[in-house]
Amino acid sequence: MSLDAQPPAAGPGPPAAGPGPAAAGPQLGADEWVARQEHRREYLPSWLGSAQRRLERAGWWPRLAVAGLAGAALPLIGLGGFQLQVGIDALVIALLAVGLNIVVGWAGLLDLGYVAFFGFGAYGFALLSSSQIGANGIHLPAYLSLPIVMIGAAILGLLVGLPSRRLIGDYLAIITLFFGEAFVELTNNLPASFRLGGPNGIVGIDPIRGFGHQLASNTGYYYLLVILLVATMAVLRLLDTSRTGRAWRAVREDPLAAAAMTIPVNRVKLMAFAFGAMVAALAGTIFAAQQISVFPTDFDTPILILIYAGLILGGTGSIAGAATGALVIMVIYDGLLRSPTDSGYLFYGLILLTLLVKLRPWRRLAAVIAATVALGFAVHAIAGAISASAVAGGPASTGWLGAALRHWVIVPANPTVPGNWGFVLLVCLLIALVQVKGRRRTILLVPALYLAAFVWETRLAAEPAITRQLMIGAILIVMMNARPQGLLGARRVEALT
Amino acid sequence: MKGSVIIATAAIGALAVAGCGSSGGSSASGGSSSSPKSCVASIGMEGPLTGPVAVLGQEQLHFAQLALSMDNKANKTKISIVQGDTQLTPSIATTVTQQFTSNSKIVAVVGPAGSQEVEAIGPLMGRAGLAFMSGSATNATLTTGKYPTFFRVVSNDSVQGPQDAHYIISHLHPKSLMIVDDQEAYSTGLVSAMVPVFTAAGIKVDHESVSQKLTDFSSLVAKVTPATTVVVLPWQVASNAQQFGRNLAQQHKNAVIFGTDGLYSPGTFTISGSYVSSFGPDIRAIPADASIVAAASAKYPSFGTFGPPTFAATHVIDEAIAAVCKAGQTPSRSNVLAAIKKTNEPTSILGQPISFSSHGELVNGKFFLFKIDSAGKYHLIPG
Amino acid sequence: MAFFFQELVNGLTTGALYALVALGFSMVYGVLKLLNFAHGDLYMVGAFIGYFVIQWFGGPSALSIPVPLVLLFMFVLAAGVVGGLGVATERFAYRPLRDAPRIAPLITAIGISFFLENAAQLLFGAQFRVYNTSQFISFSSGIQIGSVSIDSVQIMVLVLGIVLMIGLRQLVNRTKLGKQMRAVAADREAAEMLGINVNFTISATFFLGSALAGVAGVMGGLLFNQVTPTIGFLVGLKAFTAAVVGGIGSLPGAMLGGLLIGLAESFITGYVSSTYTNLLVFALLIVVMLVRPSGLLGRAQLQKV
Repeated sequence: MSLDAQPPAAGPGPPAAGPGPAAAGPQLGADEWVARQEHRREYLPSWLGSAQRRLERAGWWPRLAVAGLAGAALPLIGLGGFQLQVGIDALVIALLAVGLNIVVGWAGLLDLGYVAFFGFGAYGFALLSSSQIGANGIHLPAYLSLPIVMIGAAILGLLVGLPSRRLIGDYLAIITLFFGEAFVELTNNLPASFRLGGPNGIVGIDPIRGFGHQLASNTGYYYLLVILLVATMAVLRLLDTSRTGRAWRAVREDPLAAAAMTIPVNRVKLMAFAFGAMVAALAGTIFAAQQISVFPTDFDTPILILIYAGLILGGTGSIAGAATGALVIMVIYDGLLRSPTDSGYLFYGLILLTLLVKLRPWRRLAAVIAATVALGFAVHAIAGAISASAVAGGPASTGWLGAALRHWVIVPANPTVPGNWGFVLLVCLLIALVQVKGRRRTILLVPALYLAAFVWETRLAAEPAITRQLMIGAILIVMMNARPQGLLGARRVEALT
Repeated sequence: MKGSVIIATAAIGALAVAGCGSSGGSSASGGSSSSPKSCVASIGMEGPLTGPVAVLGQEQLHFAQLALSMDNKANKTKISIVQGDTQLTPSIATTVTQQFTSNSKIVAVVGPAGSQEVEAIGPLMGRAGLAFMSGSATNATLTTGKYPTFFRVVSNDSVQGPQDAHYIISHLHPKSLMIVDDQEAYSTGLVSAMVPVFTAAGIKVDHESVSQKLTDFSSLVAKVTPATTVVVLPWQVASNAQQFGRNLAQQHKNAVIFGTDGLYSPGTFTISGSYVSSFGPDIRAIPADASIVAAASAKYPSFGTFGPPTFAATHVIDEAIAAVCKAGQTPSRSNVLAAIKKTNEPTSILGQPISFSSHGELVNGKFFLFKIDSAGKYHLIPG
Repeated sequence: MAFFFQELVNGLTTGALYALVALGFSMVYGVLKLLNFAHGDLYMVGAFIGYFVIQWFGGPSALSIPVPLVLLFMFVLAAGVVGGLGVATERFAYRPLRDAPRIAPLITAIGISFFLENAAQLLFGAQFRVYNTSQFISFSSGIQIGSVSIDSVQIMVLVLGIVLMIGLRQLVNRTKLGKQMRAVAADREAAEMLGINVNFTISATFFLGSALAGVAGVMGGLLFNQVTPTIGFLVGLKAFTAAVVGGIGSLPGAMLGGLLIGLAESFITGYVSSTYTNLLVFALLIVVMLVRPSGLLGRAQLQKV
């Protein structure tokens, strides 16, 4: 029986679908309704979903192997220095997201201070493998400092998790938040006798070194990170399918029931913290070695936001989801959006893609596009006739895109103020578009599209740094609306008291 | 439905391929095969363009763009600028720097803004042979030879700190003073340079520390005792110091504020009776800079201390590129680096000559002292 | 002693500000169980609106209409516009996620926060906008008791804060809308089945909560003078902490939490250390939470198995 995608059910409560493929009649010890939810995973829509199902039949381990090989093969195709750096950044965040998944996705504990474990790992490695402590410094090779740092992080994770005995949910979140803040403040403000470097951080960290070899180039770090990510995902998969994994999921869904079933809830929560901390510390050490320096501001809230965005967009609770979401977010945010030309392609491309996917049938789509093009030329001609300065500026996009848009988009000589007004108008139009339905929406789309191009060419493309943040914010909002459970996540039925 | 998605994906793929083609390969704008006399190059600009200190980065960016457009017109060059947003975070600065070093068209970089960022990217820049010049990274340890491609157009903390401290001791005679740092490297560096001078002179020093993101200082100001006659604020955000001054007036405290170059912002920091040290006289007072001031004020009515040095840095780089072109060569990282090292400008926007030591330090950088009168105007204190 | 009172006044004033923002945060959490991380940015928008009103009427040193009128205008406009903005974000971004797991709207809120902060920087620029309150409400118009000075702006903030808090309490406890809000907060499905227009109630809650944040933004601008696109982040964080420490979903708790944070900041800066103020305030709050795990005024949550 195929589970072809249906539009997600709007309300909570049992969806009206048939039983899953494996539940063949009543089973001992399995509630039928629960079993239906288990098998009712939301696959991605249409052909993506069928691809996903086919892949799933292949098994988890082969998929991991293929993904790992693909990742390892990328530098061989030829990655420039910048792309390699983006890859390294993305892999670090992916590793962090996979670790955070243990705490947030499996054990259901909102940990807002996770980035402090990352920092602990980085600073720990920095202290152990640089000239910071003592006259010449401790220069432990990696195979010694990594385990020491990871064990230290595990202990720290246990300490941070201790309040979870008394506090639940958002109350626990505050404690973890405090811990995160404390890390940044302490590393920044502790006096020099603590040898943490203050705002000047620790520089001159050794590369990853052991057994006579050392990693000298970014390519080496990239490969190391791919190997570590695959290994961590493998270990976590084993953990997931073990008793510990089931215990975590039980504690997440219903701690009281779990306790009643003799699961040691407190110990399980502490283990989640400890494991999450260890993974974060591992990521931290590689980060420190690759950057050759660590500073307190490297471990502040923006990184935490990226990790969470990656985890939730990819699908909380799923290892592959966490890694995929983080990689996608980082490649877009850190890679594509840093280049103004790529941002332009992404902007127009995403708009076109949304139209193609959402506007059916063909005729409606063609009509909208034709109307927009016609509107553009008409407006440009009229505005040019009225006042020359209204079209005197050129589009901010360069290359073939700018040339194509030159006679379509009006760009005034002083684009700033009209661009700002256009931006405000565009946001209002977008909100209106969401509210109206049917034919009115189709009609409203045409000026909205033109306005979007106008705002991009006059204002947004001229401020690439701000636009990058705007776009990532918009992407986050839209992606969560489109698929709240994340790319590879499963819709969970959550009972709220 | 299936078909539309396939076509959509194909379209995106086509766009992406076209994008990779045109952004990775030869530039589409400013064709490289146009007239052989035209001087085409790219420079990078790194700074905190978004985030809590975006006010500083945007000011630097604007002045860099201004310098670029003026120099392009004057030298008939076609230099373009590539922006990189570092958000004052060293790990992000590394990514941005990789972006620049991988872009073979970029021959020099203006920035970064923070000393920590210089420490993070220095080795990378050195390996790529890419010259980078900062208008605001003032940590004294940066020019000890560690970073062979680093230059700066402002003098460093170990000059400014003791100079200001000695002035305070000899002219303001405080019995006790309060010095507050904003937990950034710039600030803590200056504090560690100044506090020993004060304690050696027998002054009681109350060393406080607040986050740069703090905007309310009433609790801190309440700690200013009647015996504290001077408050030293080596801060980067002048607006915060202005608020501190307001809190002082509100609570009727009589301390005088002494600020370092971060506070030099005639439009923003105007507390009467305050002292501010700066690495250059106000460009608004230099007649030669009138056209620059006019162009800057048109878009940025209140600029402070971060814009003009970036202007100076960009100008130095522009001139170096123009010199390379005039010698008949195509600008590349190595010849631009060599040209920068030979820079010898008799005067600059900062009212001082610019040339660099072998470690990239500004030669003969001085600091000037200003006092603010009751109308909020800055007066240069001679000597 | 004077020092103590000065810090007390400072702490109460900032505490009132945090309390207002925490109130709005707690209201939204109560009905939707949503941690709205964009709440602090609504504060920022309110502060900008207040600034532009001042500029519109001639600027701080040359106001064309009397000061009380300007203030009224600022507060009303900020409340209205920011309230509307809150409602818009709810309809646009949060409504589709109403039945998603709780962690999903977290990312939407973060996306909205990114968007608001950077839209503000795009439209208004990154430079600090200054209210210059002292130019139209002079420092000498406050009260001076010995060497303790209480600015008239501080008095206004305190009074307005108390009035708003009492007003909100009355609204929640005495009016029909308040009853609907409490019903939706307790059990949304049951409320729907009882005929309450849940969408309208949630929108009204968002409006009120965001309007409070907007008013707090104007107050913040008057007190702290500086407005820049990123001021919302810290305030939002403190509001979140205040709401949690006071007991999530409890409005008096949020107020108490806000006041506690304001006072703690003030006294710790004054008596202990300014360097580690944030840390120590947090540590104090942690101790409070460990002693009372459901927050100061929160009710111990009944957990259904």
